[in-house]
Amino acid sequence: MSTGLIGGENMQEVVVLGVGMHRFGKTGDAIVGEKSVTELCRHAVDMAMKDAGISWKQVQAVSAASSRFSGGKGWGLNGNDIVEDLGCTGIPVYNLSAGCAAGGNAFNIGYSLVAGGIHDIVLVVGGEVMPKGMIQTSGVEDANDPEYLRQRCVGMPGPAFWATLARRRMFDYGTTETQMAKVTVKARKCSESNPFARFQKAVSLDEVLASPYVSNPLRLFEICPVSNGAAAAVICSKAMARRFTSKPVTVATSTVATIGFDDALPRSLAGPVPSGPSFHTEAKSAVMKAFERSGIGPREISFTELQDNTCYYELAFPEEWGLCEPGEAERLLEAGETAPTGRMPINPSGGFVSFGEATTAMGVFQIAELTWQLRGQAGGRQVPDAKVGLAQTNGLGGNATAAILKR
Amino acid sequence: MDDSTNKASLREPCVPGLFSEEGEPSLHGARCTCCDTPYFPRVAACRNPGCDESRIVPCTFGGEGRLWSYSVADFPPPPPHRYDKPFMPYAIGVVDLDSGLRVVGQMVDAVEFMQVGSRVRLVIEPIHHEDGRTFTSWKFKLLDR
Repeated sequence: MSTGLIGGENMQEVVVLGVGMHRFGKTGDAIVGEKSVTELCRHAVDMAMKDAGISWKQVQAVSAASSRFSGGKGWGLNGNDIVEDLGCTGIPVYNLSAGCAAGGNAFNIGYSLVAGGIHDIVLVVGGEVMPKGMIQTSGVEDANDPEYLRQRCVGMPGPAFWATLARRRMFDYGTTETQMAKVTVKARKCSESNPFARFQKAVSLDEVLASPYVSNPLRLFEICPVSNGAAAAVICSKAMARRFTSKPVTVATSTVATIGFDDALPRSLAGPVPSGPSFHTEAKSAVMKAFERSGIGPREISFTELQDNTCYYELAFPEEWGLCEPGEAERLLEAGETAPTGRMPINPSGGFVSFGEATTAMGVFQIAELTWQLRGQAGGRQVPDAKVGLAQTNGLGGNATAAILKR
Repeated sequence: MDDSTNKASLREPCVPGLFSEEGEPSLHGARCTCCDTPYFPRVAACRNPGCDESRIVPCTFGGEGRLWSYSVADFPPPPPHRYDKPFMPYAIGVVDLDSGLRVVGQMVDAVEFMQVGSRVRLVIEPIHHEDGRTFTSWKFKLLDR
C-alpha cells in the first residue's frame, strides 16, 4: 500500500472520484450575480457528483469548509445548508474552520475519514460569498482578540502581511518590483484558458506596474481580490472507486499544520526575534509532512498549486519546499520555467490572482485543478504529462494544509 | 491651564493597559525567566514549547531596535481600525527591539524614508482623534533622520 510512511499499514487508499466548481465572480456581476453560497455550492456539488457518477444518496458524509476568524468573526459556508438543499439524508456534516486554509482542512478531514475506513464516499465542499473590500479580521472590540489589538493599535490589513514579507525578500535577495509583476503576467496568461477563473484576460507587464499600490511594494494586480465561488470534490476508497472508474486520481497524502513558535512574522503583535530564517512555518511544515508521508520528494512534483494571495508567495514558497534552490525563483520565473510548459510549473490554474479568493473554496478549488491536470483535461493550461501535483493553502490564524495527488 | 497641559490630559491609550508614556515610553509585556522568551501583550503562562518551566514575570519593552521589514497601508484598513480623515498612507514596521522582542507598529516617519535595517526608537504618539479626545498607540521613529 502506498498510503505513506506514518500510520499507513491499516489505511485505505483514497481517490478523487469527481470534482466540480462554480466559476468565480463578484457579487452583482454576470457570473455569480446575487447567488447565495448555497446556490454556488449546489452547482459545484452537482457537477462533482455527475463527474464521479454517483448520486446524492450514496454520499456518506460531508466535510465542509467554514470560515471563522479569531474573535468570532466569520461568514461563509455552513455545510448543513448544503445538505438541507440536497435533501436531508441524516448523514454527518463536519464544518471545518481554518481561515483561508479551511478548504484544505475540509479535504484533510474527508481524506482521513475515508483513509481510516469510517466512510467510503465523502463529499468535500467549500464556497463563499465574500463581503466587499479588504477582509475584516475582527468583529469584536475585545482586548483579548489579537486581531482586534492589531487593527486597533496598529492598523495592519491583510495585504500588509504579504507586503512585509515581500519587502524583506527584496532586501534579502534583491527581488525587484518588476520581477513580482512578472508573476502576475504569467498567472493571468494561464487564466486565459481556464473557464472557471474570474479574470480570463492576460495583462501586460506595463498594466501590472501601472496598477496602484495596495500595500507597497504590492500592487492591485499582484494581490488577490475577494471573490464569490465554490468548489467540490467527491472522494472515496480505492476499493469502492473500481465500481465507478478505471482511472481514478489517487490522493498520495493530505496534511494540516499550524504556525511554529519561532515564525518570522508575529501572529499577533509581537514575538521573540527568531534565531534564524523561519518564514511561513505553517506552510513549510504542512508541505514537508506531505513529502514525508507520501514518500514523494520535491523534485518528483510535476506541478504545484500554491496559495498566491500575492505574487510574492510564488517566489518564496518553491525554494522553501525544495522545489528549487534558495534565491533561484526569480530566474526560473523569468526563464518561463514556472509556466505550465516549464520545468517547475506553478499555479497553472491562474491561481488566486486570477480567481480572487473565495476563502473556504480555495483548498477544494486546488483539488479540482490537480484532478483536471492529472487527467489531462486542463486544455490550454495543461501541464504536459502531469503525473504528481502538490497543493498548499494558508489561513489566517497560522493554519496551513498540503495535499499530493498522483495519477 | 496652558495648551500643552490641556493636550496631555486629553491623551489616552487606544486600548488601556497595553502601554504607557510616563517616564520612558514602554510596552507592558512579560518575560519567562526560565527560557528568556519575551511577550507582548502579557501572557499568563509561557508559550514556548521548548520551555521546561513557565516562570512569567511582568516587564516593559521600549528603547531602540532595528527595522526588520515594513509595509504600507496605502488604503484605510477596515474597522476596528480608526483613523483621522482624510486618510494618509502610513508605513507599518516590524521591529526587532534590542531586548529581543519583534513587534509590529506604525512608523512615525513618511514612507519614502523607510529602509530595512534602519535604527528606530519606540515612542507613544497619537493614532487618531475622536470627540475632542486624542487616542495614542505605540509607534517607531527613525533615529537617523
